[in-house]
Amino acid sequence: MSHGDTIPLHPSSQSDIDEIENLINVGPATVLPARPTSPPRASIPVSSSLFIPSNLPPPAPSAPAAAYQKAPTAVPPSVPSAESSRGGIAADGFGSPPNTLTEPVWDTVRRDLSRIVSNLKLVVFPNPFREDPGKALRDWDLWGPFFFIVFLGLTLSWSASVKKSEVFAVAFAVLAAGAIILTLNVLLLGGHIIFFQSLSLLGYCLFPLDIGALICMLEDNVIIKIIVVSITLAWSSWAAYPFMSAAVNPRRKALALYPVFLMYISVGFLIIAID
Amino acid sequence: MEEGYSSLPTSHLLGSVPAAVAEDKTGGAASESSSANLQSFPPANGGYQAPGSAYGGDEQATSSWKGVCSISSYTPYFNIDTDIVVDRLITSVYPLNDFTRKIDGNPDMYGPVWISTTLVFMLAALGNCATYLMRKRNEPDAVWNFDVTFVDWAACVIYGYALAVPVAFYFLLQYVGCNASLIHLWCMWGYSLFIFLPSSLLLVAPVEIFRWVIIILAGAASSWFVAQNLKAYTEGSDLMVLIVSALLLQFALALFIKIFFFM
Repeated sequence: MSHGDTIPLHPSSQSDIDEIENLINVGPATVLPARPTSPPRASIPVSSSLFIPSNLPPPAPSAPAAAYQKAPTAVPPSVPSAESSRGGIAADGFGSPPNTLTEPVWDTVRRDLSRIVSNLKLVVFPNPFREDPGKALRDWDLWGPFFFIVFLGLTLSWSASVKKSEVFAVAFAVLAAGAIILTLNVLLLGGHIIFFQSLSLLGYCLFPLDIGALICMLEDNVIIKIIVVSITLAWSSWAAYPFMSAAVNPRRKALALYPVFLMYISVGFLIIAID
Repeated sequence: MEEGYSSLPTSHLLGSVPAAVAEDKTGGAASESSSANLQSFPPANGGYQAPGSAYGGDEQATSSWKGVCSISSYTPYFNIDTDIVVDRLITSVYPLNDFTRKIDGNPDMYGPVWISTTLVFMLAALGNCATYLMRKRNEPDAVWNFDVTFVDWAACVIYGYALAVPVAFYFLLQYVGCNASLIHLWCMWGYSLFIFLPSSLLLVAPVEIFRWVIIILAGAASSWFVAQNLKAYTEGSDLMVLIVSALLLQFALALFIKIFFFM
């Protein structure tokens, strides 16, 4: 038991130990279900609202731990729950807040999806917070960028008629390594950015190119492809510009921005040329 | 916006890398705060240099080499502004022979890295364009597919050349006794590739004789640039063999670009 300890435990460890003791000692029948309105489902009958109040802070929205519990979903957000049933209770270990550890999987998925959508709106669409780099992507995550990169690679691979796997490999490598190298470039030039926040932003700025690639896959005329890709390219660059230019010394702004344009232009060219 | 992201509290964000120290925020090439000795790479003695040592009279007692994996140990090689980079690019094309003097105090790696990367993408993209145009011209009904392996070949050749050739010449020069700095050699060879960028744009034109003229001119200009600057590093001793071999290697690269990507 925890009473006989001579070493004072960390408050979160103490509360977690108390929670687990509560689960062990109190039978399943006496614990209220988490969400009374959901249909009966074969889940571990644990309550998310009746726990001993722990000393843990409320779950920060940017907690990456919650992101590891599920797989990313397709753009039409209709996720069958059965698909993600494997990640119901994540092995996060001690320190994670109780209600994300034991909440239904659909809640986790929905929360992550809404975070992706809100980040997308912040980065790619015009909004009053764009000029304030502190607000943009405070709540960064890496699922959105990962999904957009994979989607772009898949779309290019589907569009290609020969060497499909090489096309996917080149697209994925260029985009993933490119995001890392661009971030390193800004850091080397003496700029101030947070590494993963920058990776996240460069991934979200691929969203317009995803749309362009999808349209080009369905369309065969080269002129239309060029127009569509130019528009989406300009959109992507416009989305990435305030973040990158604010991060470095103004005398080096062009040095930091040029590689971003280079990466987007080369991906745009890949989209046009794949047929 | 100079403050940018520097005022954000970052300690609570997982995986955040502490930003590189802004020791060179105010300085251009003549900043004393960049204390890494730029004459030798990597710095000898694990980074420690006693005062009054033979390495260029650096007053700082320690260099900023913090190990291979720390960003701040590479920052001195990127201590460069836009106008300086543009000036160096123009100097590499215009045969005025003062490039060595310009990079002497502040050799940068930004130029070589991004010039070679741009060249890789341009060769892959324009090579495909050129193949398409030639195919359309000769056999209008043939089906043409985008050849993605051009990217692989371009990356291997250009990056391999820009990395390996200066290292080889560095060791050769050390062997014959000339004191050359690897960073300067990388910088010089990187900027020598710049002339291939506009010439690859011109090589798209599907006229064979025009292409050969362009590549011979570009190859000659680039080789001349390399030879002139290498002569500056081997001043004193008569190493025509090395200089001629550098010249021939650069010309061979130009021919390879033409034959592989634009045939």
